[in-house]
Amino acid sequence: MNFKGTLPTLILEGLEREPSHGYRIAQDIKQRSAGILDFKEGTLYPALHKLENDGLVESYDGMEKGRPRRYYRITQSGHAALAKDRVEWRELSRAVTMILGEA
Amino acid sequence: MTPELDRWMKLATRHLSRSSADQVRTEIAQHYESALEAAMERGARGDDADLAAVASLGDARVANRQYRKVLLTSAEARLLREGQREARTVCSYRLVLRWIPLAGLIAVTVLFLTGRADFARTLLAASLAFGLMFVAPALPIYTQSRSRIVRIVKWVLLAAMPLLAFWPDIRQFSWLLIACLWPIAWVEWTRVSLRRKLPVAQWPKHLYL
Repeated sequence: MNFKGTLPTLILEGLEREPSHGYRIAQDIKQRSAGILDFKEGTLYPALHKLENDGLVESYDGMEKGRPRRYYRITQSGHAALAKDRVEWRELSRAVTMILGEA
Repeated sequence: MTPELDRWMKLATRHLSRSSADQVRTEIAQHYESALEAAMERGARGDDADLAAVASLGDARVANRQYRKVLLTSAEARLLREGQREARTVCSYRLVLRWIPLAGLIAVTVLFLTGRADFARTLLAASLAFGLMFVAPALPIYTQSRSRIVRIVKWVLLAAMPLLAFWPDIRQFSWLLIACLWPIAWVEWTRVSLRRKLPVAQWPKHLYL
């Protein structure tokens, strides 16, 4: 399952916990959603580039197990955007639950 | 790089600029390396691990469509280069070129006064176009809000110029207008895309226009 448009918010949420690289961000989202949010990993990087272009994340070169990796960290604007997304998501989720009823 | 990954990369980087394609290749190669290692830790061997790592990337065509929305395509990179060359040319002749619109406006006044209104209107349209091209770059417009105003003025002028030049026979000359405006519309559309993709700090001067 994958809700269109939620990937940038999920990436920001993951990066708020700690800076990370693409592969780890993808695995983190899958694990934390118990495999329900299963997006194709090739679409993760365009989303990361968009967030970087918008100034919500910034990238830097790092190393993991002696291998070069491109790391991403959230910026101040990214924190603000995430807080706004959280509020919007809670409102949307409450509204949909009101219509569909509790599971 | 395995043939499967190579095929994925080729499709995913289609029509991207050289630097964008290099960026994609680097990040996907890093991702693939981690995915391959994880597949091997789960017990997959050789080709199976390779296929699993490439399959997790998804459809390369979908990735390519998304990459083209956020990274420079080869056409955009070319327009960026050509725009910089044109801007340099305009700047190097700016003292001479700035007089062209003024000379045009003087000629327009003379033509109106001598009763040749039709020719004067066409010349006025041309003078406005040259004014926009050669004078605007010299004005202090290089902030986001000012450049937005300049672009609004530019579009108003672009719309007004054909009306000025061809009114009331505009329908008769519509084929000429479409032929002339189509390349302008394409360049402007590409510039909109460039402004969306590049951070403001990296905008070259001609993107403000």
